[in-house]
Order: sequence, then C-alpha cells, then structure tokens
Amino acid sequence: MCGCFVSTLDEFSSGRSRGGGGGMADRQEQKLKDAEKWLKKADKLTKLSFTRWAADWSEATPLYEQAGLVYKTAKLFEKGKHCFEKAAIGQERLSSQWTAAKHLETAGGLAKELEAWPEVADLYKRASEMYMFCGKPQPAADALVRGAKAIEDSVPDDAIRMYLDSCSFLEDDGREQMAFDTYRAATNLYIKQQRYADAASMLLRWGQAADKCKAIQSQCKAYVSAILVYLYNQDLKAAEQCHNDCSQVDAFLNSEQNQLAEKVLQAYRDSDGDEVMYVIKSSKTLPHLDHMIVRLAKQLPVGGLKPVIGPSNDDLDENDLT
Amino acid sequence: MSVTDLLTRAEALCKKYEKYDLDKKQDATVYKNDRFMMLYTTLQADLEAAMQKANDASIEKNRAVVATLNAEVRRAKAALKEQIPKLTKYAGKKVKGATKEDLALRPDLVLGLVAKIEDIPDGVVAPRKPVKGKKGKGAAETIKIDAMSPEQVMSGSQNQSSEESSSFAQEADRRKAKQDESLEVISEGLTTLGNMAQDINEEMDKQTTLVDEIDSKVDKAATEMKSTNVRLKETLVRLRSSRNIMVDIVCLIVIMSIAAALYKFVNLPPTFKHFSMNLIFRL
Repeated sequence: MCGCFVSTLDEFSSGRSRGGGGGMADRQEQKLKDAEKWLKKADKLTKLSFTRWAADWSEATPLYEQAGLVYKTAKLFEKGKHCFEKAAIGQERLSSQWTAAKHLETAGGLAKELEAWPEVADLYKRASEMYMFCGKPQPAADALVRGAKAIEDSVPDDAIRMYLDSCSFLEDDGREQMAFDTYRAATNLYIKQQRYADAASMLLRWGQAADKCKAIQSQCKAYVSAILVYLYNQDLKAAEQCHNDCSQVDAFLNSEQNQLAEKVLQAYRDSDGDEVMYVIKSSKTLPHLDHMIVRLAKQLPVGGLKPVIGPSNDDLDENDLT
Repeated sequence: MSVTDLLTRAEALCKKYEKYDLDKKQDATVYKNDRFMMLYTTLQADLEAAMQKANDASIEKNRAVVATLNAEVRRAKAALKEQIPKLTKYAGKKVKGATKEDLALRPDLVLGLVAKIEDIPDGVVAPRKPVKGKKGKGAAETIKIDAMSPEQVMSGSQNQSSEESSSFAQEADRRKAKQDESLEVISEGLTTLGNMAQDINEEMDKQTTLVDEIDSKVDKAATEMKSTNVRLKETLVRLRSSRNIMVDIVCLIVIMSIAAALYKFVNLPPTFKHFSMNLIFRL
C-alpha cells in the first residue's frame, strides 16, 4: 500500500513538471486516453455475456463516435476505422440508416489510408446500400463514385463495377444529368486500361443519357469521342457503323462535332494519313472534348491506313433490271 | 425486431443451409470435369443475351438508345469471337464421361456457334442523310469584305496596270490578308466562348432541378419553424400563468401553517383566560 502511494505521488509530480512544456501533446495524450476509455466502455456495453442479454446500442453508439473522431484526428486509422464501423452498426440498430451510412463512408476513407482495398470497396458498397434503403439514390450513387475513385488505381475492375452501378442507380431514378461525371470517370478509366471498345460503348451510353435530358452539347461531344476512340482502336468498320447510328439522331447530324467526324472518316476512307492529321490539328471543336480523347485524337492515324473496301453499291447496277 | 434484423437473420440462415440448395448444387456439379461444355454453355448464355439486345435494338424507336444497344451488341460479338479459339482447343481434347460420338460432334458444335454469332444483327447500314450546311475539306473559307473580288477590280476599267495601281492593289491584298488573320483569331475566340456558354447552359439546367428541390424543402422547414414558434409561445404563456397560481397556493399554505403553529402555541398554556385578560388590561 505504501508503495502504490509513492508511485501515485511520483506520477502526480512528474505530471506537474511536464505541464509547462508540452501542453498540446499532453492534451492529445489525454484525449487518446479518453478515447481508449470510451472504446472500452462501449465494447463492454455491447458485448453479450451472462449478465447482459441485450446490447445497449443507444449508450454505446455516441461513445464509439467520439472515440472514432479522436482516433481520426490522431491519425490512428486502424482503431478509428474499427470505431466507426461499430458506430455504424449501432446506428443501424437504432434504425438510423442515414447516420450509419455516413459512418461507413468515414470508415471507408480511413481504410483507404490503410490501403486495405477490399475493405474500402466493401465499406463504400455497404454505405451505398444503406442510402438506397433510405430511399435516396443520389447519395448512394455518390458514395459508390467516391469509393471507386479511392480504389481506381489499385483495383480498377472493382472501381469500374462501382462506376457502372452508380450510373445504373441514377439512370433508374431518371436523374442522368448527375451521372455525366461518372460516365466521364469510367471512360477515362477504361482508356487508361486500354479497353477501347468498352470506352466507346460507355461514351455511347453517355450520349444516350444526354439525349434523355436534352443536353445536346454533351451528346454530340460523346458521339464524336466514341467515333475517335474506335478509330484509335484501328476499327474503321465499327467507327463507320457508329457514325451511321449516331447520324440518325437529328441533334448530332447538324452539329459541328458531326462535321469533324465526317471529315475524319472521309480522310480515313481516302487512306490519306496527312489529311487526317490536318483535320485533327485544324479542328476547332476538338480541343473542347475531354482531354483524354484529345490525347488519343492527336495520335491518329494509328497504325497503317489500310485501303478501305468501297461500299457495296456496285451490286445495284443501274443496268441490272432483275 | 426491425426489418434489418430480419434480413440479416434470413441471410445467415440461407448461408447455413446452402448445401441443401439443389439448384445451386446442380449448376456447380454438372460438367465439372468437362471444360468444353462449361465454356460452351457460358458462350451460349452470352449469345442469348446479345441476341436479346439486338432484338431490343430493332424495336426501339429512340435513335440514341439504338446506337448504344448496337455498340454493346458489337462488343459482345467481338468478345465471343475471341473465345472461339479456346473453345476449338477444348473440343479437340479427350474427356472421360463423354461418348465417342459426342467428341466427334464437338467441332460441329463449335462451327454452329460461330455461325450463330455471325448471324446476330448489329446495326443496319441505313442510307445516310446528306449532311446539310457547310461542307468543305481542308481549306478555310475566304472572308470577303468587298462585294467584288480583287480580279474583278483589276480587270475592270483600268486595263493598263500602272505602278501606282499595282502597288495599291498589293497593299489592299496585304491588308485583306491581315484582316483575314484577325478575323480568324476572333472566330476562334468566339467558338471557345460559344462552347463554354453551351456547357454553362447545361450546368444551369442541371442545377435548376436541384435548386427547385432545395426551394420546396426550405419552404417546408420554414412553415414548420413558424408553427413550432407559435406553439412554444403558447406553452410559455401557460407555464407562466400556472406558475403564478402555484405561487399563490404555496403562499397560502405557508400562511396557514404559520397560523396553525401560532394557534397551537397560544392554546398550550392552561391559563388562557388569565393570559388574555392580562393582554387586554395592559392595552
């Protein structure tokens, strides 16, 4: 007993002597100690045991939230993530899915710092599900986009899937205008991964969404970008077919972007590489496209220009009366 | 028990008894050893999906949707075609469990699949409408300032080109060229402005819906605040008035208790009469 008394006295005196110099560090240490205490208390409240048959989430959740905030500011990501996950479970049990989703997003952000990529994706997906449960597809789509941006460098396939899910959420809700940025991000990711056919079909999907909300400018830009991507992929046939399809749309037919497309395709049909480069360089509409597309276009023509087989109009000979 | 609890419990139960799910088991065990058949069935499923999309495209009226669907059909066809060499490789391999006739038929199955893939329609090459408006390949349009061209001016009345007139003509040409350059610069600037303006227009359209939503929500919140304020005022008034009544009652009780105490104190001495008489005579 005497010994412990002496030790407490020692602590007290040392605390006093330190007080003058590192005040801020002390406060932070104190905060961390508090956070530990809160975490332990909350864990005790939620762990089921012989004496406790139902977890007390209404008490534990605020404790988890406070502890999580402290860990986040102290950059202790692992503990912070754990706290926020538990807080999210608590809020879910308290039927407050919105707050739960917000906590899951914060936890996802912390997991990103830890570079635990599968967890990041999982947390953001759960957050988006909660938002959908609340009947709010817009924040759900936003959560997916944020998650995809976090993991796009390391796990691009998952990121693509999240982008596509986000787009379908917004399309189902009829709010495609918000999806434009997502389409752009997904297209850029496809181009980075050199999946040009996928990029082109994403651009066409963008065009379709733009058509629905009468955003003519974006629609024309998307279509001409798709044609350029097909040409970069050395797929002249697909580019021609795409141009045919898009020309059926009146808005695109009379646009400047269509003129650019016509000129480039004509140059390709004539197998004139210099003409292609001239058209690209002197075009006034090209610089206004997305920068990734401009970069691709500047590298046209890629590969050798094969002489294109003429259209099969020769079959219908005028003198053939059969 | 909330809905989320029910859902989690249902999921846990499903996972626990997964091994009894006959449908799932059937899909997993059939063709386990036979890679050819597995690949064949997956390719067939993909083919069906592509066919479905092509059918949707043919009945769809919206051209933009048609364009998108056609692009997706083309992509699916390309992906399927890529898988065909792998399929032919598997077709050549021997597999236990399959009969000799089956093995002989496999190359034919592969060819049939290839034919089906080719058959999927992927966008009819419709006759293109001629492009209206400006055409032109390469050369920039010349900007005419005057009604007459320089040649007309030259071959007009003055047939003899004297020094003065030729230098004047050259000067005019130079000036016209400079004007052309400046006009080019202006036109570029205008195009940029036009593009930016159209982008801003689209952004504004996007934001209009959002602002309308915010407007209605804020209106609702404002009316709720007003009604809450009125109710709060009423409650406060009532509280204060009831507090007055309580204060009155408490004071009454205190006075009565003091009176009762005095009454007891006065009644205690036995010679009450003597005491009262003394008091009266004193006065």
